[in-house]
Amino acid sequence: MDIEILLQILISGLLMGLIFALIAVGLTLIWGVMDILNFAHGEFLMLAMFFSFWMFSLWAIDPLWSLPVTVALLFAIGVGTYYFIIKKVLNAPGLTALLATFGLSILIKNLAQFFWTPDFRQVQGAILGDKTLSIFNLNVSLPELIAACGSALITYLVYYLIFRTKTGRAIRAAALDRDTALLMGINIDRVYALTFGLGGACVGVAGALLMNFYYVFPSVGSLFGILAFVTVALGGFGNITGAFYAGILIGVVETAGGVFVSPVFKYTIVFAMYLVIISIRPKGLFGW
Amino acid sequence: METSALALLKKPWVLITLLVLFCLPFTTSNIHFHHVLIMFMLFATLSQAWNVIGGFAGQVSFGHATFFGIGAYAALVLLKRFDLSPWVGMLIGGGVAVIVALLIGYPVFRLKGHYFAISTFAVAEIAERLFANWDFVEGAIGLPAPVLPEGLVNFMWYKTKMPYFYIAFILFVAVLLLAYKINRSRLGFYLRAIKQSHEAAEGLGIDTSKYKVMAMMISAFLTAICGSFYAQYILFIDPPSVLSLDISIKMVLITVLGGAGTVIGPILGAAILIPLSEYSRILLGGTGKGMDLIVFGALILFISVYQPQGLVGFLRKTGKS
Amino acid sequence: MKKQGYFSVFALVMVLFLGTVLAEAQDVIRIGSIYPLTGAIASSGLRSKHAIETAIDVINNKYDFDIPFARTQGIPNLKGAKLQVIWGDSQASPEIGKTEAERLITQEKVPLLLGAYQSSVSKSASFVAERFKIPFVCAESSSAALTERGLKYFFRIAPTDAEDSIAFFDFLDQMKAKGKKVERVAIVYENTEFGVHARGEATKQAEKRGYKIVADVPYTFKSTDVKSEVLKIKAAKPDVILQASLLGDMMLFAKTFKEQKVEFMANLAYCGGYHDPSFVQNMKKDAEFYMGQCTFSPDFITKKPVLAKINEMYKKRSGVDFDGVTIEGFTSVLVIADAFNRAQSTDPEKVVQALRATDLKTPTLPGDGVKFNEQGQNIKIISHISQVLNGQYRVVWPGEMAATDLVWPFKPWDKR
Repeated sequence: MDIEILLQILISGLLMGLIFALIAVGLTLIWGVMDILNFAHGEFLMLAMFFSFWMFSLWAIDPLWSLPVTVALLFAIGVGTYYFIIKKVLNAPGLTALLATFGLSILIKNLAQFFWTPDFRQVQGAILGDKTLSIFNLNVSLPELIAACGSALITYLVYYLIFRTKTGRAIRAAALDRDTALLMGINIDRVYALTFGLGGACVGVAGALLMNFYYVFPSVGSLFGILAFVTVALGGFGNITGAFYAGILIGVVETAGGVFVSPVFKYTIVFAMYLVIISIRPKGLFGW
Repeated sequence: METSALALLKKPWVLITLLVLFCLPFTTSNIHFHHVLIMFMLFATLSQAWNVIGGFAGQVSFGHATFFGIGAYAALVLLKRFDLSPWVGMLIGGGVAVIVALLIGYPVFRLKGHYFAISTFAVAEIAERLFANWDFVEGAIGLPAPVLPEGLVNFMWYKTKMPYFYIAFILFVAVLLLAYKINRSRLGFYLRAIKQSHEAAEGLGIDTSKYKVMAMMISAFLTAICGSFYAQYILFIDPPSVLSLDISIKMVLITVLGGAGTVIGPILGAAILIPLSEYSRILLGGTGKGMDLIVFGALILFISVYQPQGLVGFLRKTGKS
Repeated sequence: MKKQGYFSVFALVMVLFLGTVLAEAQDVIRIGSIYPLTGAIASSGLRSKHAIETAIDVINNKYDFDIPFARTQGIPNLKGAKLQVIWGDSQASPEIGKTEAERLITQEKVPLLLGAYQSSVSKSASFVAERFKIPFVCAESSSAALTERGLKYFFRIAPTDAEDSIAFFDFLDQMKAKGKKVERVAIVYENTEFGVHARGEATKQAEKRGYKIVADVPYTFKSTDVKSEVLKIKAAKPDVILQASLLGDMMLFAKTFKEQKVEFMANLAYCGGYHDPSFVQNMKKDAEFYMGQCTFSPDFITKKPVLAKINEMYKKRSGVDFDGVTIEGFTSVLVIADAFNRAQSTDPEKVVQALRATDLKTPTLPGDGVKFNEQGQNIKIISHISQVLNGQYRVVWPGEMAATDLVWPFKPWDKR
């Protein structure tokens, strides 16, 4: 096999992986801080993509320009989800929180299907459009490249927020020991709401960027959702850098597996790899 | 502590309800109504099977469709390829499911909390892909049941659904009694302890792995049986119809809505979801535009927030139990 | 108890339902039709629906042109009874298609089913029909396996992928004889009855004629990303790509081929996405030079003016010209009308016998007629090959039928 094809696989895998990473970062944040696995994360992504799509379709606003709006909307949805649902199940026995977000995901997905039909939609004629770049004989789709760069940037920003700002410290404190943080005067309620909002915002960015080159349909959240869960678990609960690397790993494995084994098994290989890794390291690659 | 399963039947309201349920199909010759009854009983049984591991033991598996699919495929593949009676296929399917549960059980149960749930997703997805690309079971093309003469031996009927009704009814009652018995047995006690607190159970000297795997094996066997029934009822299966996430999710939804961990929970849940599903399908066509799932998602959300015990919780409050 | 009340109400509702269903008008012949009207390939399904509705219009009303049953109103031997279609939506799923078939047969009590675009849905729905001894007319599904099942109530109008594969390789043999480089073949196909069977037939022909299959690439129907598949194909450096894809995936592949600058001499498509005019509409210049199996092209209209008239009627409903798939749908309704006419009854058994004896002359299909062999396959239909040139589907093979010269090789992306 050509070295060219190999590099192409690596690049394509890396680009997609960075996007998986961003989606996972939002999820792992929520998990790390509140010990809640947001089952509706994939559906949030789907909503972000649809909002982008509709803004383009109805008002001809390019996904690049509408990105801030999408992010704001998803932030609001995240915060709203916290106040109306999560807050009430925080103290409930284990199963409950999981099932609450689960119910939410079913609800959102089927409402989307009811209102927007299961048809696949695409943005056609966006600024980034179908342009391809040729770098050293490698074909890189421009929208994908932008999406990947955007994802990497936002991931870094989140990391910076969590580890280098005062707000971030509050979030970390709440994650480590909720009661002590409360005692120290941290408004846990606000921290949690912010965290959920941030998780939504991350997914908002990812969705808006994805819309430049991906199809959207009500069930698109399911696949990305499961991949996000696997990424997060692989990276270790609450671990942002872990999720980042895990995302890239999954992107590359998926593309490579698709080419070297068979395209129909591209995700199967990812899941199998997850099971193998998790049995050796039950808390993920970087978990503690 | 050990109660006879049949003790459940001695309760008058149980006996009356079962009797009425049995007589319902005779009130009309409308085939679709029979279909709804059969689907109700099938899914109640299926969810009860999930309940053993998900409700009693609190191990939320999102991958139970794997066992359902194994049962379904065992029945039809063995029929098609080896002319084996689907009844035998059913038992073989159940056996395979148990083995798979055993093999996956030990490693996966070592995982805690969310890691476990995610693993069940992974297992289910892998199973679906494998079957979809396995020529022996016709892969993604799907496996239609061979066109054979009707009858008990071939486990297929075309002109009437009544034999299916009887079989589904027997399954329904049998699994109901089994769940009742487990709930009141020592196994049930251990499972409840594990669900309550894993560490405390270990502290008490309970071999948590052993009992979790045991529950999983029972659950897997029963789920596979339902899968075989389904295959013989629908007479066409393919990976999306018997191995998909949708089925795994339905099992969870029904049980949780009704009340996970209770014996009547799955039945209540099915009594609401299945007619909702089937009739929204008639009214709105195709998959009923997902109306049933919209209602269901909303109900689950509502229940999780206000009444985590499910419908059973509501019934308890109003004095019925 | 809660449950009991619930069930009694539903039982009552269903009994009432039953009553309304039993009332049936006598001067209308209802047939059931199952197509993917919503979901992933709704666009293609709706086009077939329009074609069928056009045919119903032609049959039920009086038109002065040379199409069977155009000049009469309704079915002459049944006192002019009109045809009516009861629609079922398969949503591109064989399971739902099957349930719809059951519903149409048991609830709507139709004496005949028409469908279903996808081979997988036709397969499962026709099994239901066979069990209930109801005739199933399949207009356009291509898997040869459908007529190899030994079913007695199944009839198919379109050519099979076996015949299409022979046509493709006859064409490739000719190109080889002309000195063109044609050795390495890649087959990319959706993992369904349609795709898998087409791949089987293609492999058979390739091996028989000494071509090398350098890539065998199955993919999951309704893909969202085909990067791995395309890279795999590119790495194999094929001369020719044989493709079995429906509309959505076809467009995705075309887009990714362009993005990855995959070069090949020709892309030959089995009956599927290529044929839906949406392919050309959406891909615009990127659709140029794709080729595919063809049972209809606007070129035929110039040869048979009567087709212009029905094309216009169809175009009013769907916005595009007829293509192979839709004209097969149109013709199948003529076949059905003809069967009812000769049977002089709507009794399924009589209709089936009439179908078996079909020998209908119609200008709508190449081969000019429909006649079924013992397995229910239409033996009169012939496959051509068309190519997208200047946004139009042009017949380019075989030589005698070609309307214009074909372009070989597929122009590389940077030379357009």
